[in-house]
Amino acid sequence: MMSRRKFLILTGAVAAGAILPAQISAKTQFVETAEEVRAKRRWAMAVDVSKCTECVKELVAKTGNPEVKPPCVVACDRENNVPEFEDKRIDPQWMRIAKLKLNKPSVNPEEFYIPLLCNHCEHPPCVQVCLTQASFQRPDGIVVVDIHRCIGCRYCMIACPYGARSFNFRDPMEGLKEVNPEVPMRAEGVVEKCTFCAHRVDKAVAEGKEPVPACVEACHLYGKGALTFGNIKDPNSKVSQILRDNLAVQLRANLGTDPHVFYLKLGGE
Amino acid sequence: MAVEFKKINGDSLPYFALVVILAIVTAAGFYAYVLDHQIAGLNGLSNRVPWGIVNAGIPYFIGLSAGSLIVSALAGVFNIKKYKVFSRIAAYMAAAWIIAAILSIALDIGKLYHFMNAVRYFNLTSIFSWNAFLYSSYFVICSIYLLVQFEEMDRATRFMAGLAVFWAVLVHSGTGAIYSFVYSKELYHSALTPPMFIVCAITSGLGLLLANLYFTFRFTKRELDPSLIRGLALIFAGLMMILGYFLAVEGLEKGYIPALHEAVQFVFLNPGASIFWSFWLLIVFGIAIPIIIVLNPKTGYNLKWISLAGIMHAALVFAERFYLIVPGQVFPEEYLPGYELESLHTLEGYIVSYTPTIIEWAQIIGLIAMVYLIYVVGVRIFALIPERAVEEDVDVEVVKE
Repeated sequence: MMSRRKFLILTGAVAAGAILPAQISAKTQFVETAEEVRAKRRWAMAVDVSKCTECVKELVAKTGNPEVKPPCVVACDRENNVPEFEDKRIDPQWMRIAKLKLNKPSVNPEEFYIPLLCNHCEHPPCVQVCLTQASFQRPDGIVVVDIHRCIGCRYCMIACPYGARSFNFRDPMEGLKEVNPEVPMRAEGVVEKCTFCAHRVDKAVAEGKEPVPACVEACHLYGKGALTFGNIKDPNSKVSQILRDNLAVQLRANLGTDPHVFYLKLGGE
Repeated sequence: MAVEFKKINGDSLPYFALVVILAIVTAAGFYAYVLDHQIAGLNGLSNRVPWGIVNAGIPYFIGLSAGSLIVSALAGVFNIKKYKVFSRIAAYMAAAWIIAAILSIALDIGKLYHFMNAVRYFNLTSIFSWNAFLYSSYFVICSIYLLVQFEEMDRATRFMAGLAVFWAVLVHSGTGAIYSFVYSKELYHSALTPPMFIVCAITSGLGLLLANLYFTFRFTKRELDPSLIRGLALIFAGLMMILGYFLAVEGLEKGYIPALHEAVQFVFLNPGASIFWSFWLLIVFGIAIPIIIVLNPKTGYNLKWISLAGIMHAALVFAERFYLIVPGQVFPEEYLPGYELESLHTLEGYIVSYTPTIIEWAQIIGLIAMVYLIYVVGVRIFALIPERAVEEDVDVEVVKE
């Protein structure tokens, strides 16, 4: 038989156990509920491939460097504290430019350029496989990594169909000249990737403005304005209009991940 | 007649020498881990190939564990008395290998001190998350199974044996699914991998067990009946054939898809890369030659030869894990089908080679040494091996020779 004393201690402990975690955990006070956000906002990006190609081709011709970083990539690196390492094998890169060529060069020898970044999928495989729910999708569709939860198993890198994720083989601080305090620093041993500049998005939404990620801003300021970012839940947003008027292509759409970076004007029309 | 299990004396000089050597190799493995995480660039990993041989250690060790346990427990489940002589040693090894597997995860991940997050934030859709639970529960089941055997609780042993086999199949299918459910990599995605993992687990676990038994009995100068081993060796050979069959079906199916022609050619017909060697060495030295050794009447009854076959197979199953994990990462995926893509700022679109470094090998070899250290110490502390393992003793009809 359990003594009364023991019983009381036990019930007390159970009660404390049930109440305390809720008290201790800093519950975020949301202005809007997840459902409200989901109904109102879904961020997406549209890429005008012909403009992007024009910009990169010009830059390559001007600098003579076939691996030149266009304004969007430079801005992303700076904004998000993406480190720079000599060794390409371990150098993290959130945004990068890829050269595309039709598999039949005799039909079309032309080269096209497209930016690659996290696609912020509707059904993100990285979130599906993450051991610790460190990778998660926000109600507004942005996929982010909680670096405090990430154990660095790299399963998400294997699962990502778009190679969007980088592992910090080295401490990012070693590869940075300056640090943007607006963006949280990552440590060695965790995975990182593009966040659609979530910090800018949140700030702009709070101020009631249109959010502009760093790459999009740089693309319009110094490039050809190939990138458009916006809310596809809003039918009047620029990105919604563009997607209505064009044949948009998603990368590896057959996987059913429903990526939210759309590529338009692949033929340069 | 009941089988008598007895501890070994373990007071000879060679015994202590063995313990010391194994301890040094184990320590070297952990030191390699420390170096690997302190100094960047000591491993062959990259952002394109983030999973290397330390990761391959996870399915490899779990395979050895599951295989060993299935062999041990089948004796209990089907009440095959003659194999009961091996059931303790096999269950003990199973528990030791699962420790190596869990440590392999620990050595592989980038943030070890975040490890408990895998328990705190369980993700229902993550197969790896499920496996973290399965591995730890599997270890508990192994231990209880071993305990009821020590206590000679017959009914409980049979029940635990059944549960252990079920759990081992679950654990190892789950491990296969970690890789094969990844739909973004064509070379990973396959429904055949989980069953192939089970077969591969039994063959590698059994192969190593055969060698283990031979060396243990020889070293302790106890009597081991070749006809007992012969029965296990035949199961071993039969399952290796099934493994070969699985590999053939898998390879042919991938080769049938035009989109994968280049990748398949790269994997199977490119002697310049380690992937080619991992596959063909497995086929020749890991499957074909061991099968010939077992089936050839001149060598198939000789314990020495059978152990050699067992070791060859078990060692090359590691190559099978390499072949399973690495090619899918090395060969680039098509982001926009029909277009050749080359990234200007990363290595996407290129074949990125992966060569394991000595630091990575040291970690794997260290873990293997650790398992044998656990084993060598274990046979001294626990009554794991029978005094003599002879057919008549265990009173079953003689295998035809």
